[in-house]
Amino acid sequence: MLTDTLEALRTDLERAIGTVESLDALAEVETKFLGRKGELTNILRQLGELPVEERKAFGQRSNEIKVEAEAWIAAARERLERAVRSAIGETERVDVTEPGTHPTEGHLHIMTQTIREITQIFERIGFYRTRYPEIDWDWYAFESLNMPSDHPARDNWETFFMDAGESKLGKMVLTPHTSNAQGHELERKQFPIRMLNIAKCYRRQSDTTHAPMFHQFEGLYVDRDVNLTHLTGIVKYFVESFFGKTRTFRLRPHHFRFTEPSFEVDVSCGICNATGLTADGQKCRVCKRGWLEIGGCGMTHPNVLKSCNVDPDIYTGLAFGWGIERIAMMKDGINLADIRTLYENDLRFLKQF
Amino acid sequence: MNSLVSYNWLKEYVDLKDVTPDDLAKQMSLCGPAVEKIIPRDVDFEKIVVGQITSIKPHPNADKLRLVTVDIGTRTIDLVCGGINLKEKQWVPVAQIGARVRWHGQGDLITMEAAEIRGVKSEGMICAADEIGLAEAFPHAEREILDLGIALPKMKLHAGTPLADVLELAGDVIMDIEVTSNRVDAFGMVGLAREASVILNKKLLWKEPSLEKILVTKSRGHEGTKSDPAHSPLTTHHSPSVTVHDNTLCPRYLAVRMTGVKNKPSPWWMKQRLLSAGIRPISALVDITNYVLLECAQPMHVFDETKMTKGSHGTEIHIRLAREGEKIKALDGKTYDLDDQSLVIADAERPVAVAGVMGGEDTGVDEATTDIVFEAATFDAVSVRRTARRLNLYSDSQLRFEKGLSTESVVPAMARAIELTRKLCGGTVVGPEADVRASEYKPLSFSIGIDEMNKLIGIPVKTTEIVSILKRLGFGVKKDAKKITAEVPWWRDKDIESGRDLVEEVARMVGYGALPPTLPFGLATRASDAIIAWEDKVRDLASASGYTELYGYSFVSKGMLEKAGFDASRALRIENPLTADLEYMRPSLLPSILDAIAKNSEREDGMHVFECANVYLHKDGTQGKEWKDLPNEFSECVVAIRSQETEEPWREAKGFVELLVDKLGVSDVRWARITSDSLWHPGRSIQAFVGDHLIATIGEIAPDVVETFGIKGRVGAAAIYLQQLVTMASPSKTYIPPSAFPASKRDLAIIVDRNTAYGNVMHAIRGIDALVQDIAWFDTYEGKGVPDGKKSLAIHLTFSSPEKTLTTEEVDAIMEKITLALKEKFEAEIR
Repeated sequence: MLTDTLEALRTDLERAIGTVESLDALAEVETKFLGRKGELTNILRQLGELPVEERKAFGQRSNEIKVEAEAWIAAARERLERAVRSAIGETERVDVTEPGTHPTEGHLHIMTQTIREITQIFERIGFYRTRYPEIDWDWYAFESLNMPSDHPARDNWETFFMDAGESKLGKMVLTPHTSNAQGHELERKQFPIRMLNIAKCYRRQSDTTHAPMFHQFEGLYVDRDVNLTHLTGIVKYFVESFFGKTRTFRLRPHHFRFTEPSFEVDVSCGICNATGLTADGQKCRVCKRGWLEIGGCGMTHPNVLKSCNVDPDIYTGLAFGWGIERIAMMKDGINLADIRTLYENDLRFLKQF
Repeated sequence: MNSLVSYNWLKEYVDLKDVTPDDLAKQMSLCGPAVEKIIPRDVDFEKIVVGQITSIKPHPNADKLRLVTVDIGTRTIDLVCGGINLKEKQWVPVAQIGARVRWHGQGDLITMEAAEIRGVKSEGMICAADEIGLAEAFPHAEREILDLGIALPKMKLHAGTPLADVLELAGDVIMDIEVTSNRVDAFGMVGLAREASVILNKKLLWKEPSLEKILVTKSRGHEGTKSDPAHSPLTTHHSPSVTVHDNTLCPRYLAVRMTGVKNKPSPWWMKQRLLSAGIRPISALVDITNYVLLECAQPMHVFDETKMTKGSHGTEIHIRLAREGEKIKALDGKTYDLDDQSLVIADAERPVAVAGVMGGEDTGVDEATTDIVFEAATFDAVSVRRTARRLNLYSDSQLRFEKGLSTESVVPAMARAIELTRKLCGGTVVGPEADVRASEYKPLSFSIGIDEMNKLIGIPVKTTEIVSILKRLGFGVKKDAKKITAEVPWWRDKDIESGRDLVEEVARMVGYGALPPTLPFGLATRASDAIIAWEDKVRDLASASGYTELYGYSFVSKGMLEKAGFDASRALRIENPLTADLEYMRPSLLPSILDAIAKNSEREDGMHVFECANVYLHKDGTQGKEWKDLPNEFSECVVAIRSQETEEPWREAKGFVELLVDKLGVSDVRWARITSDSLWHPGRSIQAFVGDHLIATIGEIAPDVVETFGIKGRVGAAAIYLQQLVTMASPSKTYIPPSAFPASKRDLAIIVDRNTAYGNVMHAIRGIDALVQDIAWFDTYEGKGVPDGKKSLAIHLTFSSPEKTLTTEEVDAIMEKITLALKEKFEAEIR
């Protein structure tokens, strides 16, 4: 009798699995027939009612059925899962035009980004970066740079002086340019010098085009036989690397105390394509007749070399020192009505870079 | 400094036939002064013509308006006009439909349209001087219109002639030229013409006038009245008595007396030239001094001799320092207190001019002036600059003097002034000139080796070309086989300082475009300073972690320092700050960062910001003049978090430091709680050390401080002392192979006193057995189920051996050791 019950269970089970429609229903079927309190367990619990000689065969048979049933269930599960997966296009559909979840976004300041770009350009041609004091002696900031004591830049309405005593090297000043690095670097006497000094500078000026603190990058190249063609070579390389090959440059004679000859470098205007006129024939508002000033450069003045005990008959050099704020604005066409915006730390500005 | 230069005027000094302003601009910019802008002079006079009034009738509907018919050559037009000086036959400027005028001299230019004024049609307008930009040239009363017959008395006028033609502005342009400060000669038309003549290879037309010749030439009468020396109250025929009391500050003073001059408005040709350079015409005598300034770049002054207090030598001129308490009313109408460092020109009694800066009103010329003294002098550049700054008084003269002038430019300038005065105002020179100078002039002379020049230029330049360039620039040149010796022309006295300067003169004329660019490739001869790369690494980590970079000024105010609990007296002070907001060099980045957070806090909910920059600290405690060593400039990085969501933003700050320390390969960090720093929260702050070196302070900013800055919510921050930290950083990492055997994990929950530091618990566990591979905090709980004054700490432990799989029994044994140790050390109760 019990054997019949067992076979009936097998039949029922096969039917139930064959007709099951969902994974949940399948789990129910499994529990109902094969679970710890399921029907098969129930039958096996009645094993004691059988004669001893039948018990072994009955046990084997029930085990066969169990193995068989598990295979049916596995097959059914696979069938049902496949069906579920084939339907996810509908069942799991979401609106993927909704925005993604952003990673927490940080921002590097446009000055940092520009400084890195400049650094990379000059490192490629063998320049190394230095760091020298921002609060420095007058001697490095002025005297060694061939700027006489009555030079206007040394007046106290142009330059910041520290409330400090003097030394043999003069007063303590907030360096008004990165050129103070020249003396420090020349004193090391490690030739050839291929210095790139990027630093904060300070001048007593605050208006829409001047911030009292700003950044410059200073190049100094000193070796035997450095000449004007090297200066034009470096300027050309930098302009093309930084602004792109479509931009040209020109050198205009200028006057600085620590270089001779001295030049102002202009780069062609990217907005009006160096014509000075916009497409509708109006005067370009960004440039001066097609040109934008980058900054000064020149051949190191022999007096600068001499002041650092470098023999100008053996060594010659070239130097350039340009404002980073300015070239960053020029490159990206960022039109800041007030350059001091860079240092006002308004997150609405900073997060755009 | 920039000069405004009329192209037509420049053409008087250099042959510019076949040269357009554009050509000139292009070539000049490459070799000398840069032409930055070119502005046509006649654009604003388009559709404005000369008209003659033929009839004037009353306006039917308005008392103050008239109906005027004007002949404009091709036809007559009817218009409505309110001018109070209208007359028949009057010559007037007529703005036709389409002309642009400045309505009542104010606002922007407006294009004329046909209009109906009080019911009467008007086809244009008769202009007042200020409506067409001529107010300075032809001043007249309010509500009047410009009477061209009066304004241009010598001119034959025709109805219909474009006004620009009458004014001789048609076709002219103004060039805005940047002249470098060393080229004071090129601030004058003559100097600029000389540059142009060399650059464009054109003939210089200027002939330097000779004072000697001019002084012997008798006056040939003048425009207007005849000279009449008999009217002069001056009877002496001596030159003025000039005494230079300080010949360092005044190396040369040249004075010439004239009598019988007649002062009046200048003729139009002179007015328009002054206007082209931005100088307002005043009267012929004043205009002559300004004209010479523009022409020769030598400032001049003219005194009314009768207004000068005479001394025992008659007219006395003293060039001396002002005396304490002396004042002067300058030509700008303001009175200035003088100090004993200011050089003045004084008569027998009082200052009559601030030397090189501005003349005094009391001795200025006016319409009644007949006797004058012209001054052409050389003053010390620095003294003029500093005096102008101290008095806050600036002028076209001072701008030139402060660049440094040659003592030799006074002579041609004086000659020109006399020449022009005779032409415009008549008069005769009285007595010989008074010329006081510190020393005889000797031209400077410099040499440079031909080899040296070519080596520096980088391409060989022919010696004949070198010589030719220098000669055309006015140098006296001698050469031998090896070197070139050049005598400097006087107008380059303060500019050419060595043989090296000759290189520039040659190179710029050869043209920089001719130099082949050569890139000096090479390997860096030394490494970049290490701190720079470390700072970049920190910046990258911070921005990758979601922080936005700030850049603040290096200077802060006393108030800002004090708000953040810093003692301003210990910070580095600037002697001459621009404003009190920018007085101290910041000893920490935190005050400015808190300020930035405050400024943004209205707009932003959560903020993650950082800055990486130098801070400035005394090497020792000295201040003020006692402080004689360059200070320390230390690299610092501050990250700060303002969040209104989390109650404990310090955790993020500390997490950043932990991550950074790990990335920099710094190990053995020791932590110590801080409780007594007014900037930091007394219960939520900690410092990190390596050995004895402080590397960071981390925590929550004290709520008091946060409130003082006006920030809502809590602020967590970490100040990381990079200068110190990076000395311990190691760029290389050591690889530890992962164990091939699976690790076992257990959780541990203990109840300890609430002041027991997790850090100490962690250290205790770490020391127990090498098989404890990882200890990770995951929760601290106080409250229900935990006795008062206690807390529950929950920790994940990971056990692992590089040699085998640990058995349950082995892990149990270690756990047993751990619980025993924690019970003993912290009276911990295992949950």
